[in-house]
Amino acid sequence: MPGVLPPAGATWPERRRRALGDPTMRAAVAKSTRSLAEKKAAAYASYPPGEAMRAPAVAARRSALAHTDALLEEFTRQVEAHGGHVTRAAGPVDVGRYVLGIARRRGAQRVVKSKSMATEEVALNEQLEAAGLHVRETDLGEYIIQLAGERPAHILVPASHKTRQQIRALFDDEAERSKVTPPTGDATPELTAFARRQLREEFLGADIGITGGNFLIAETGTLVLITNEGNGRMTTSLPPVHIAVVGIDKVVATWDDLAGLLQQPPMSGTGQLLSTYTSFITGPRRSGELDGPEEFHVVLLDNGRHELLGTEYEDILTCIRCGACLNACPVFRTIGGQAYGSMYSGPIGVVLTPLLGGLDHAPELPKSACAMCYACRDACPMEIELPRHILALRRTEIDNSMEPTTMRLTFELWGRFWANPAGYRLTARLVRLGQWAFMQNGRLTRAPGLVGGWTATRDAPPVAKETFHEWWQRARPGSRT
Amino acid sequence: MVAAGQTGVADMSRTGTTVPLGHQSDGELVQEFMDHWVALSGDAWLALGGVDDVRRALAEAVSAMVSERGHAPRRVIAWATDELAPLDLPGLLASLGCECVWWTDHPGGADVAGDHQDSPPGGPADEPATPGAALSRRRNLAAASDLGITTCAWAVADTGTIALYATPSTGRLPSLLPTAHVALVRPSQIVRSVPDGLRVMANHGAQLGGLPSAVNLVSGPSRSADIEGDVAVGVHGPRRAGVVIGEW
Repeated sequence: MPGVLPPAGATWPERRRRALGDPTMRAAVAKSTRSLAEKKAAAYASYPPGEAMRAPAVAARRSALAHTDALLEEFTRQVEAHGGHVTRAAGPVDVGRYVLGIARRRGAQRVVKSKSMATEEVALNEQLEAAGLHVRETDLGEYIIQLAGERPAHILVPASHKTRQQIRALFDDEAERSKVTPPTGDATPELTAFARRQLREEFLGADIGITGGNFLIAETGTLVLITNEGNGRMTTSLPPVHIAVVGIDKVVATWDDLAGLLQQPPMSGTGQLLSTYTSFITGPRRSGELDGPEEFHVVLLDNGRHELLGTEYEDILTCIRCGACLNACPVFRTIGGQAYGSMYSGPIGVVLTPLLGGLDHAPELPKSACAMCYACRDACPMEIELPRHILALRRTEIDNSMEPTTMRLTFELWGRFWANPAGYRLTARLVRLGQWAFMQNGRLTRAPGLVGGWTATRDAPPVAKETFHEWWQRARPGSRT
Repeated sequence: MVAAGQTGVADMSRTGTTVPLGHQSDGELVQEFMDHWVALSGDAWLALGGVDDVRRALAEAVSAMVSERGHAPRRVIAWATDELAPLDLPGLLASLGCECVWWTDHPGGADVAGDHQDSPPGGPADEPATPGAALSRRRNLAAASDLGITTCAWAVADTGTIALYATPSTGRLPSLLPTAHVALVRPSQIVRSVPDGLRVMANHGAQLGGLPSAVNLVSGPSRSADIEGDVAVGVHGPRRAGVVIGEW
């Protein structure tokens, strides 16, 4: 069964146009992606063991995929042995039903969340809010995005497209709504202090804490959470119920497997050798403990993942959500994350969105949001074959005849003409004859018929008065070209 | 005793190596752990001269880290572990004008000062009637504390990391809710790498019949770069994180 992803909201041309027309956002994204990419490179250069551990880490992730079902069973047994609960969720509806069931049984009203892509994927916030629950994102970036009513624009730094002035305006509005003192200024410590104060109250009053999970360790039933701010620790320590929503792809067999993996997300994501906080959660609070949750639940989310096991796309399930491919991608660096219309943006989003949500969910991503430069392949610490997958998705899409017939015919015709030198030279001569009618300031800015699709968003240089071939023939008559 | 704050990194690097240490390799691990911890905006004090030296360093750490809030009396919440008993925290903290609260009744029968002090607003006085009330009382004490004092299970030199195990006497909140956190680290607890630390934890797990319900690895104070990539310290967790390295 393929999964279900939230709808994109706007069409690709609309999203693209909006992104390209937002210089503030584009400057912010360009700055943050460059900085993160540089930090990743510096981290691996400064800490050779990080690179040495990478190959075993990749191997551990890939071998786990071969035994996913057995590992999930072992994980479940271990969590239950420690007094926790595990459930399998096929998609968004299952997750919502399970979480709401717990909320109803406990009479819960207030939910705090630590950043989780899996819950974004199943639109859990919307489901809980529709049922009347108060849901608060507590990661600073996610909090900003939630106040703005947006979706995260980057896997790791969801508000990296926002300026401090925009953030202050959002906090001022929030202060007015909750009748508290607004931030004293737009300096980072002032904005941070406001969020800390507001969110501390939310943590202390929460009935349920929801997190994602970076890894699951089958042999001990342990959930691994990687955070920097401390909101993950708050969410797993203060509310009486902790629910972790985690993709089935996150399971590894042993702690030995984890040893090589644990530093890869922070090193590749932010250039830290280890994140500020790494939490290993094995079951709920034990007898005699005065803190920690009474109830511990893990929701193992499928949403189209299981179907990818054993296919050519399988390695996509080894993704550790570090965001390195986003930071390396010239398309992401140019248009930012919102334009992708998916919570998974950048190269990983181009592949994962259609694979999880179905090809008809985001058919434009593989064909339009990739320049085939292979920068993502080089950046990926798990060595996922992103460009190969993007090509395969393009091919599948054409095979499925989802392309408009006219476009396919155009490409066939073009292919026939340009497959031999005579056809190519003939086109050049024909274009030279007629191009004067479509030129502006020395560039081709319009074109007739189907070629008009190309010039709708870009221009092209005109065919020269004399082509290289023609010059060669003139300068060296009789020589081969 | 050598102190190293955020401003004294270079000095620490020089003086730290002159302190006599048993094993040269141990000394290197201590130095690297400190360097990395300080590089992460943490505070570090080296006190290898025995229990009195550790108490002196701890007093310095407490003075430095609770000075940010002006109200009195300042409250310090500490893990109720036997390991801390030789340091006489209630006496040490009283001399600094701080009130000492234990996370839970001290197993060693030491002074349970906090239990006889003021209850949190709206909470029950003295012995709470229900486990739920006991829980929220501890939580409020931790949230209203200026500093949390803990030990650690192991530490990592390569990354400047300490490992905190959750047990009944060593809760999650004293290192999380107060404005500042100081951990006591023994040089012998410092290992080279994260995988080395995980192996230590596996051994502990084998001895104790399983892993703790929660293990938190902490590398410096709480941080975020979510606002224009500008690093902010103290988002949700402690604003200041200190280590006192010594044997006692």
